[in-house]
Amino acid sequence: MSTLIVVDQAPYGSWAGREALDMTLSLAAFDQPAALLFTGAGVNWLRKHQAPEDIGQKSVEKNLAAAPIFGVEEILADATACQRYGLTEDNMIAGTSMVTDTSATLNSHQQVVFAG
Amino acid sequence: MEDMTSPNQQPATLHILNKAPEHARFEACMNALCPEDILVLSENAVLALTDENAAIPENSLALAPDLAARGLGKDFEEQAISYQDLVRLTEEHPRIISW
Amino acid sequence: MPTSLTYTLVITGAPWTSQAPQTALAFARELVSAGHQVDRVFLYGDGIHLASALSTPPSDERHWPREWSEFLAENGVPAVACIASALRRGLVDEAEQARYELTGSNLRPPFEIAGLGEWVEGNMKSDRVIYFHGSV
Repeated sequence: MSTLIVVDQAPYGSWAGREALDMTLSLAAFDQPAALLFTGAGVNWLRKHQAPEDIGQKSVEKNLAAAPIFGVEEILADATACQRYGLTEDNMIAGTSMVTDTSATLNSHQQVVFAG
Repeated sequence: MEDMTSPNQQPATLHILNKAPEHARFEACMNALCPEDILVLSENAVLALTDENAAIPENSLALAPDLAARGLGKDFEEQAISYQDLVRLTEEHPRIISW
Repeated sequence: MPTSLTYTLVITGAPWTSQAPQTALAFARELVSAGHQVDRVFLYGDGIHLASALSTPPSDERHWPREWSEFLAENGVPAVACIASALRRGLVDEAEQARYELTGSNLRPPFEIAGLGEWVEGNMKSDRVIYFHGSV
């Protein structure tokens, strides 16, 4: 039974994306099939060269890059949202796959979960 | 056992949505609905019944206490359901998305 | 139609700031009336505030942390506040108070503090997992 965790909130302005990532990594730690979908403003979590030190936070870039090693099966990004926010393969972290039909993505997982 | 699978390979899904129509997740939910799915509007989402711009399915349901709270108790009696009804819907739908 | 299902309820919205605890409690009460079992309640993100022993709403308002703890105790339902969400928001039990040498603890029984593994277990074992989020 696979779980898709969806992140639709922008990075750093709220903790929701981090909580979603923690859920995803926990599933993977227990060998449960898990995938992560970034959509809406949430795609901005995937931008390269995040430097949040001056706002007093830690970057999630490394955690996301490490997610596949921990067993997260897929890191997906909504292509329409990426286009809106100027995200392309060049400025996105590696290991992300674009999806053009997020509804189909949702419907290909038994469970769909938001962290908040 | 009746075959309940929709074209997208999942069984008929129960969607529980509590966001008002302007919330980004509201539209995302609308886009994810499949023909056999059931949409239950709760909390702020019940306002969608009064929103001429909200494209919700005709068979959408709404929690009665949330309608009453917002002054809509008398207007949508056909769509109004109780928490008990919601429990029954969760019994009937193994796949549930809480938006 | 199955006669008794097991449910994990996840609450991510804080009391008063959101309706999540209220909707979840009304739903939980009907679950029990219908003969189902609430396997566990898991508080995550801002939902952890529901487990505060120090919430003090005006006396003529519903007291969501107290009502929840009474429901949990009456029905023998385990309830957990996620440790990562709880600590940073200032919800601690006696063990964490000692560990971090804090001036007090404020976890309302019967809530306990534990990790996301509790949620994963609910995900794996319960027939249904329902989430109650904030709505803004």
